[in-house]
Amino acid sequence: MSRAALAEGEPEGPGQPRARRPSLNAEDQEERIAARRLRIAARLEAKRREALGEDPDAKKAEAEELSRSHKQIEESRQRLAKLLNDGTQLLTNIQVAADARETQRRAEEDELKRQRLEKLENESKTNQDKFEEITSKWGSAKGKTIPQDLWDVLNQQQQQCAMLIEEKNKLISELQQELKSKDDQYVKDLKKQSDDIHLLLERMEEQIRNLMKTYRRELTQIEKAFELERRELLSSNKKKWEQAMQAHNTQELENLITRMQKVEEYEKQLNQLRVQDAEEYTTIKNQLENDVQILEQQLQQMKAIYQLNQEKLEYNFQVLKKRDEENTIIKSQQKRKLNRLHDVLNNLRTKLAKQIKQFQEENQNLTADYKRIVEQYKDLQRTMRHFAAIDAQTFLEIWLMNEEEAKGLMWKALEADRVLHTQQLGLPWVEPDYWFLDNVGPIVHRKAIKSASKLAQEVMALTESSPQEEEEEEAAEDGRKEAREAGEAVRPPRHIMVKSVKHILELLCDESGFLIESKLLGLLQPLEKHERSLMRLDKIFAALEIDNEDDVYTLVDFFLKFKAQQVVSSQREERTAEEGPQELAGVAAKDDEGSAVLKEAGTAHRSSAVSLSSVLFHPDDVLKALKAFVRDFQKPRDKRPQVKKVMDERDNSKDSEYWEALAHVIPEPKLKVWDALEEALEKYYDVLSQRAKLLTDLDGLQQQNTELHMLLHQYLTSKVNQELLIPPTHVIELMSP
Amino acid sequence: MQEPVSGDTNVASPTLKASVVNPAANPRRMRRIIAEDPEWSLAIVPHLSELCLQHIVSNFEKNPVVDHLLPEHQRKVLDRISTGLPLTVTANLISDEGYWKRCCTERWAVCDVSRYGGSWKRMFFERHLENILKYFIPNTTDPNQVLEVIPLCKEYVRKLEIDQFLPPVKLDQNKEEDDMSDSGSDVEFDEFCMNHYDLGVLTAALSHLEELHLTYGVKDCGMNFEWSLFDFTYQDCYSLANAFKKCHTLKVFKLCRSKVDDEKTRVLIRNLLDHPCLVELDLSHNLIRDRGARAIGKLINRSKLEILNLCNNRIRAPGAQAIAHALAKNSTLTSLNLRINCIEDEGGQAIGHALLTNATLTSIHLGGNELSEPTATLFSQVLAQNTVLTSINLACNHIGLVSSFPA
Repeated sequence: MSRAALAEGEPEGPGQPRARRPSLNAEDQEERIAARRLRIAARLEAKRREALGEDPDAKKAEAEELSRSHKQIEESRQRLAKLLNDGTQLLTNIQVAADARETQRRAEEDELKRQRLEKLENESKTNQDKFEEITSKWGSAKGKTIPQDLWDVLNQQQQQCAMLIEEKNKLISELQQELKSKDDQYVKDLKKQSDDIHLLLERMEEQIRNLMKTYRRELTQIEKAFELERRELLSSNKKKWEQAMQAHNTQELENLITRMQKVEEYEKQLNQLRVQDAEEYTTIKNQLENDVQILEQQLQQMKAIYQLNQEKLEYNFQVLKKRDEENTIIKSQQKRKLNRLHDVLNNLRTKLAKQIKQFQEENQNLTADYKRIVEQYKDLQRTMRHFAAIDAQTFLEIWLMNEEEAKGLMWKALEADRVLHTQQLGLPWVEPDYWFLDNVGPIVHRKAIKSASKLAQEVMALTESSPQEEEEEEAAEDGRKEAREAGEAVRPPRHIMVKSVKHILELLCDESGFLIESKLLGLLQPLEKHERSLMRLDKIFAALEIDNEDDVYTLVDFFLKFKAQQVVSSQREERTAEEGPQELAGVAAKDDEGSAVLKEAGTAHRSSAVSLSSVLFHPDDVLKALKAFVRDFQKPRDKRPQVKKVMDERDNSKDSEYWEALAHVIPEPKLKVWDALEEALEKYYDVLSQRAKLLTDLDGLQQQNTELHMLLHQYLTSKVNQELLIPPTHVIELMSP
Repeated sequence: MQEPVSGDTNVASPTLKASVVNPAANPRRMRRIIAEDPEWSLAIVPHLSELCLQHIVSNFEKNPVVDHLLPEHQRKVLDRISTGLPLTVTANLISDEGYWKRCCTERWAVCDVSRYGGSWKRMFFERHLENILKYFIPNTTDPNQVLEVIPLCKEYVRKLEIDQFLPPVKLDQNKEEDDMSDSGSDVEFDEFCMNHYDLGVLTAALSHLEELHLTYGVKDCGMNFEWSLFDFTYQDCYSLANAFKKCHTLKVFKLCRSKVDDEKTRVLIRNLLDHPCLVELDLSHNLIRDRGARAIGKLINRSKLEILNLCNNRIRAPGAQAIAHALAKNSTLTSLNLRINCIEDEGGQAIGHALLTNATLTSIHLGGNELSEPTATLFSQVLAQNTVLTSINLACNHIGLVSSFPA
């Protein structure tokens, strides 16, 4: 039932709170979470209620407004439960009563039993005593010899035994009595129990009857409640239905009316439209008929034209056909040509590729060759430099050697001369004094290059010392030579004036202070103006890497040119602005003349500009010029070492002279003297030598003579002569005679 | 329809009984449609299948054919075969509830199938076996009568409720022994005469036996009452105890109104110790005293016992204390009934203390135990502390004004 209640109660019961309840389909997440929580809680609650049974159901019935039927069911259930409870209580009461009786009976029984046992014990004790008494008497009885006594005693004993037995019997009868009463009791109890059981049965039956009745009643009531509820529900639904129906009907009616109205309207509109359309139709029809007639006429015309055109076109077609044929022929020809040309093109292409390849190879070869040659050249240069150095060395050595030799010879000659003079001629000898006598090593005449700072110093000094002279120089162009002579050491290239050099140096000194270290500037403060400017120039040159005289001149030259360029460009602009139109007009006519004029003007201008520039070099331009100079001057500077080397080559013009001089250390007249002397001496010598020869011959002959003497003697004296047939002596004697 | 003809031949058939009872078939013959008879057919010649079925039904005892038939034919056969067929044929063959329902309703007036797990067949066999055992007289009845039934019913019997056991018949000594039996000292009769049927064979054979309700006594003896009729002898006790050993499936054992005293209780309990299944033990309306109670207390903690009924015994304070001691340590027992004993305040307080620690017992009945105020105050304390207990019955005690428990 609880489930049904849940199912039914949910949709109608909490209708109002439901609106407040968070729904599961809400957009807000929080709300959805809350809804889920509620659902879980409800489920748990339901489970708990199911577990607990009906009690929470009742609570639930109270909590949630249940329909009447449910209320009724709940009430009935409660009532029935109470009834059932009462009934079971009624029934268990009997059991409880029986139990109570039983316990009571048991207690009584126990008590009775205890009493009985006591009694029996007492009884047995007393009887035991009596029995013992009797048995003791038996002994005394045995002792009796007199029959009378014995009889008495026996009688007594009998009596006593009888009494004992009687007592026992009494006890037995008592117990039997008790037993009987117990039996009665038992019967009574049985009856009682059967009564109880009857009662129980009755009560059960009654209970069942009651329960049935109440169940039936409750059932009918529940049914009634349900019926009622259903009826109410039905009636309410019917009412709702009727209301809805009525509303629907009225709505329908309204709809119908509006529909009718609309239909009427539409009909009216239709009629109107129909009339309008008919009118339009007739007018259009007329118009169209007219159009048709016109068009028919046109059609006729068109047909005529068409025929004409057809014929024309046919003719054209024929012509075109022919042309087409021709075209096809031409096309085929062209195609063939094209193919041929394509072939040619391909051939050429291949050739070209081949050639390109070839040339590339060639190029590569050449570049390789070039590289190799460059390498070789470098090697050659290196070897050349090496050889040059070696040559120089060898040259020097050879020179020295030769010189030594020559000097030796010379000195020898001189010595000979002296000897001749003193010994042969008997004249006093004067030692000759020549320039070359002292010279040792190759003759060198290097041009001393002046350092830049020195030049500057000189220039400055010069200009300061002779300002007036220069003024004169300014006046005439020839004055330059004089100035050069006057300046002695300062010999600037032809086209640069000393004045302008000075001017430019001054400008540099003033304007390019930034090239000097600030520390130095501080140090320079106490010095004189002249000294200071010199120091400054020195530093500036150091910064600009200007070392020697030539550099200074190139700098000055550059400055002058720069200025001249500027001036020329500005003036030319002016001139073009002035003469532009005239010239343009006369360009075609007087080409030659114009150009000549221009040239003349240019030259004239240049000369004037040069003269001007020396004076008018503006301080502002110095920086620009300097910048340009630094930029342009960087390249020539790099080439310098090579140039220097080339310039190193020796000047050998004086060598021959030197050697010549060495050779002619003995002058010509002296030589003539020597020749004469030689001649005389020669003669003398011949005489002497002849004499010497004769002397020696004489000596030889003398010696020979002696030797021959010896030999002869020997032969003659020897024993062999005697042994011989013919002794030599004989021969000699023979011969000799 | 040829029912009248066949009805005459098969008188025993219950399905055709109507036609037998209703001999006036003439109006039936006049009718074309007989709506109240579901088997009525307009065909005058019955189908061959029908005839075959009829034949099967009539010769069922000799040739029982059920399993090979089509379901609808099976249905018809089972509806028609006689309930009087011997059990040897039907017991293991027919499992159809309808047939066994017919058997039961025919044999007994009151049939409550709900007490037998909704199975008519089980009901039939259980009651059949109970009947046999109830009227079994040792030494007189043929023991084969039981043994024959066992193989037929062992698959179906789960519960045996035997509310009487007949003792052996004494022919001539009956009257003399009236006095002797009162004293209860005649040993020689007990030895060979007064023993009841031994259940050992039966319990060993019944493999599904779960419940056993026994009462050693005679019902409806009327004026032939003798104490000896209600004797539960030692021999009986031993044989019963042995029977337990063979029956491992037993869950419920009830032995009521059988004069079970301490010694017999101890014998029974000794054999019930560590029984694998026993859940309920009912020894109500016996003569168990403190020693027996002590044995039961031992049993409580050495088995899976959940329900224990000891109502209407002679247990006093020491026995109750023993049970309470066991209860304090126990975690299986849920229900304890000590109605109509005499445990008094000492025992009641012991049980109350045990309930302070026990957490499984849900219901306890201590009605008629001479309890008084001290026990009641202790129980109020127990109720405050114990959360498991749902029902306490303390009816018929001298509690005084403190009582506020439901009856």
